[in-house]
Amino acid sequence: MSVRTMNASSRSDQDIAGKEPGGREPSGRDTGGKASRPRVLLVEDDGKIAQEVAEELESRGFRVRHAATGPEGLSIGVTGGFDVMIVDRMLPELDGLTLIETLRGRQVATPVLVLSALSAVDDRVSGLKAGGDDYLTKPFAMEELAARLEALMRRPNNTRETMLRVGPLAMDLIERTVTRDGTEIDLLPREFRLLEYLMRRPNQVLTRNMLLEDVWNYRFIPQTNLVDVHIGKLRRKIDEAGGPPLIQSIRGTGFMLRAPE
Amino acid sequence: MLLSELFRTATFRLTLAVVAAMIGTAALQFSLGYSQTKTFEFRRSDALLHREADLLSHENAQDLEHKIRERATDDLRVVINEAGLFDMAHRYVAGDLRVWPDGLIADGRVRELTVWPTEDAPYVLRILAIPVEGGRILVLARGLHMLDEWRLMMRHSLLVSIVPTVLFALMTGIVLSHRALARVTVMHEAIDRIMEGDLHERLPSGRGRDEMQRLAGSVNRMLDRLEHLMDEIRDVGNDIAHDLRTPLARVRARLDRALGDRALGDALSADDLRSVVGRAIDDLDQCFSIITALLRIGEIENARRRVGFAVVDLNEIAADIVDLYEPIAEAKQIRLDLLPSTGPVPVYGDRDLLIEVLANLIDNAIKFTDPGGEVTLGMVRQGDGARLEVADTGIGIIPEERQAVLNRFYRSDKSRHVPGSGLGLSLVSAILRLHNASLTISETRKQDARPGALFGVVFPPSPPTVSASA
Repeated sequence: MSVRTMNASSRSDQDIAGKEPGGREPSGRDTGGKASRPRVLLVEDDGKIAQEVAEELESRGFRVRHAATGPEGLSIGVTGGFDVMIVDRMLPELDGLTLIETLRGRQVATPVLVLSALSAVDDRVSGLKAGGDDYLTKPFAMEELAARLEALMRRPNNTRETMLRVGPLAMDLIERTVTRDGTEIDLLPREFRLLEYLMRRPNQVLTRNMLLEDVWNYRFIPQTNLVDVHIGKLRRKIDEAGGPPLIQSIRGTGFMLRAPE
Repeated sequence: MLLSELFRTATFRLTLAVVAAMIGTAALQFSLGYSQTKTFEFRRSDALLHREADLLSHENAQDLEHKIRERATDDLRVVINEAGLFDMAHRYVAGDLRVWPDGLIADGRVRELTVWPTEDAPYVLRILAIPVEGGRILVLARGLHMLDEWRLMMRHSLLVSIVPTVLFALMTGIVLSHRALARVTVMHEAIDRIMEGDLHERLPSGRGRDEMQRLAGSVNRMLDRLEHLMDEIRDVGNDIAHDLRTPLARVRARLDRALGDRALGDALSADDLRSVVGRAIDDLDQCFSIITALLRIGEIENARRRVGFAVVDLNEIAADIVDLYEPIAEAKQIRLDLLPSTGPVPVYGDRDLLIEVLANLIDNAIKFTDPGGEVTLGMVRQGDGARLEVADTGIGIIPEERQAVLNRFYRSDKSRHVPGSGLGLSLVSAILRLHNASLTISETRKQDARPGALFGVVFPPSPPTVSASA
């Protein structure tokens, strides 16, 4: 029964956040004024999926260029000028992994998200080895794809600085302490790890799967809302009673740490 | 039934082999008997010749010559078939043997020689020549016609007996093949009916216990199992349909209601609409989780390769999993305990899949345990393998249901109200099968009120070549 209760509590949070259309506009990496909308190269042979993805991404503010075959993707890809690429693993004529390897060999450093119908561990590993930066298994939710593209375009704040600051929160990476407006917050190691991940990616939508994969290094879809419970516990520690939540729930997608304006 | 078909049956071929063996045996018997008889007859002839020659050699020259002449009319003729008296130059003196046979030497030893009489066909004789008084040579001979007669007789009787025997055997073979073929035809027809889709059809196995009936019995048992599996697949299909239908029906009803209210002019507020859509998405997410879990099980069951396999420390995985699930247990006021082992517990497996196993077992244990209960995770090295236990103080699983809970979608009646895809344990058992690990379910019996469930996993020893190939 308490599982249900937990769902209910997280749902109310989500509903609050859902009122503001957070995370709808991709902020993108700074494209130096060339274009305000981030450019995506989509290499996918399945026309239906390609159209769906392209439409969804366009509606989210991306500019999508589609290539239906490996060689086409390669010739467009080497010209550069893209912020991120989506490459299907299985492509006619030129395999997706070979395509990525060739691009990497030609000094194209654009981040790549590999799409695959296979989710076996070795496929994932070989996908990442070939130079892919992230791996997504079909079928996937559009929110998941969008969030991961976002994450790829923005480099996480991996600075050498030992202090991370988001709004009233300050994290000392050496002392391993967290303060809110100067008041120290007592966190368990796992809560610290989660908050660090969030603070390195402020104002960015993070899906449950991304958190599970990156914070806990797990690659399975749990039966229970594991991530929600962890976020819930963290929220209770870092939020001020009655104040707006620092970690916002993004309906149907995940969470975002946002500094109040 | 075609005759050629009959001749191709195993039974008929067996009959042919038996017939050949019979003929062979008879021929062998005949030749053995003949050679035995021949030896015996030779020995007897030689003894006779020696005895007679011995007697005759004591006669004086005249008497001997007389006796040889008379011998043609004598009774002795039956025993000594031919006799002759020759001088030292092998010239004929007396007797019915008129020509000195080629190759005969007067040394007192019996020889076997062929004589070629001018007017008759050549014949074989056992022949003995000894020097006697008066510078003469006595030649005594005995023919082998007795042996030849015996051989003719035996050959004749052999033919007389073997022909009807062989014919009888062949007839029996045809009858038996016909029967076997008839039984096989009945089975063929039954199999054809099964192949046409009548899975309830069985082969006629009869009451007897001969090899055909035993084979039919085996095939029938196989068909029982296949039918059972087919039923299971059908059940799984029904279960999937049912489990997907419930949330989908809810989605439809919610959306329908929202739309209906609007048609009445009673427009929903943006908030209400948002909450309706939100709940619909929750229900759709449940459908997705079922589909994802099913695909995952299929993927794991099809995985023949063990590419991701390496030696992993169960202890480490368990610590991580407990760390991940502690807040969930805490929220339900359940104590989640890890009984750490004294050292690392290495098993050979896929880290991600083993995490999935542990996560599902812990998830399951927490789900079916009431607030105030406890879930314990423990592991030990067992020989070269390892044993892992997840124990809870929840409602437990009755023995009759313990196998069934590992099946897809099985949900005990007691657990109908608990949310979930119902596929967690199926996933666990699929992954453990890939690891050759066994899963047993028993009860914890820590608290008297609730039996609790104890899931025990036994991992086999890791292969010794692991570190080399890894």
